[in-house]
Amino acid sequence: MNGGHDLGGMHGLGRIDVEENEPVFHDAWERRCFAITLACGFLGEWNLDMSRYARERMHPATYLDTSYYEHWLIGLQTLLVEKGLLDEAEIEQRMQALAAEADA
Amino acid sequence: MRVLRAEEVGKVLLKGGPARVDADVSAKFEVGDEVVTRNINPTGHTRLPRYARGRHGVIDRHHGVFIFPDAHAAGKGKCPQNLYSVKFSARELWGAQGSGTDSIYIDLWDDYLEPL
Repeated sequence: MNGGHDLGGMHGLGRIDVEENEPVFHDAWERRCFAITLACGFLGEWNLDMSRYARERMHPATYLDTSYYEHWLIGLQTLLVEKGLLDEAEIEQRMQALAAEADA
Repeated sequence: MRVLRAEEVGKVLLKGGPARVDADVSAKFEVGDEVVTRNINPTGHTRLPRYARGRHGVIDRHHGVFIFPDAHAAGKGKCPQNLYSVKFSARELWGAQGSGTDSIYIDLWDDYLEPL
C-alpha cells in the first residue's frame, strides 16, 4: 500500500543520526513491546507479512510521528483486535488502570 | 492456539522464521536479464516501493524461491515465487538528481517484474 512507511525518496525528514553504541532497546517498554509482540506472534493467528501490513495501515501522519516500537505496539493492537483476541474497550480499560496506578 | 512458554523462547528465537520455500517453481528471469517493474498500487501489502515502480533494472542475483509477501499478508497462503536482487541505476530512479555512479539493489519477486 502507498502508506506512510513507503518514504523512500521523501525530502525534509532531516539527516539520519547514527547513534554510537546504539542499545538494542532505548527504554524498558520497548523491550516489553518486543517480547509481547513475539509471544503473540507465536499464537499462530497471523504471519510476519500480516504484522508488517498492520503497521503500514497506521495513518501516515501518526506513522511518521511515532517511533519504531510504537509502530510495533500499534500494529500488534490492530491484529489483536482484528483477530478477536482483545477488543478496543479492554485496551482502553487497561490503559486507564495503568494511568490511575501511575498517578497514585 | 499455540502458546510460547518461557523455556522455549531461546530455541524459537534461534530458529527464526525463514521465508525461503523448498518448492520447485520455475523462474521467469535469469541473471543479466533486463526487466521493467510493474506500476502497481495495491491497497494491500507489497514489497515493491513506490520509487521503483515502472523502472528499468537488471537481474543481478537470483535468491531462490520465497514466500510472496503480498499474498501472505492478505491471508492467501505462501504463493512461493522466485526472488531476485534487481539492480537499478540511481539515475533511473531519481533522474538528474541521482548520482551517476551509484546503483540501488532491491529484492523483488517475479510478480513485480516484466521482461523488457
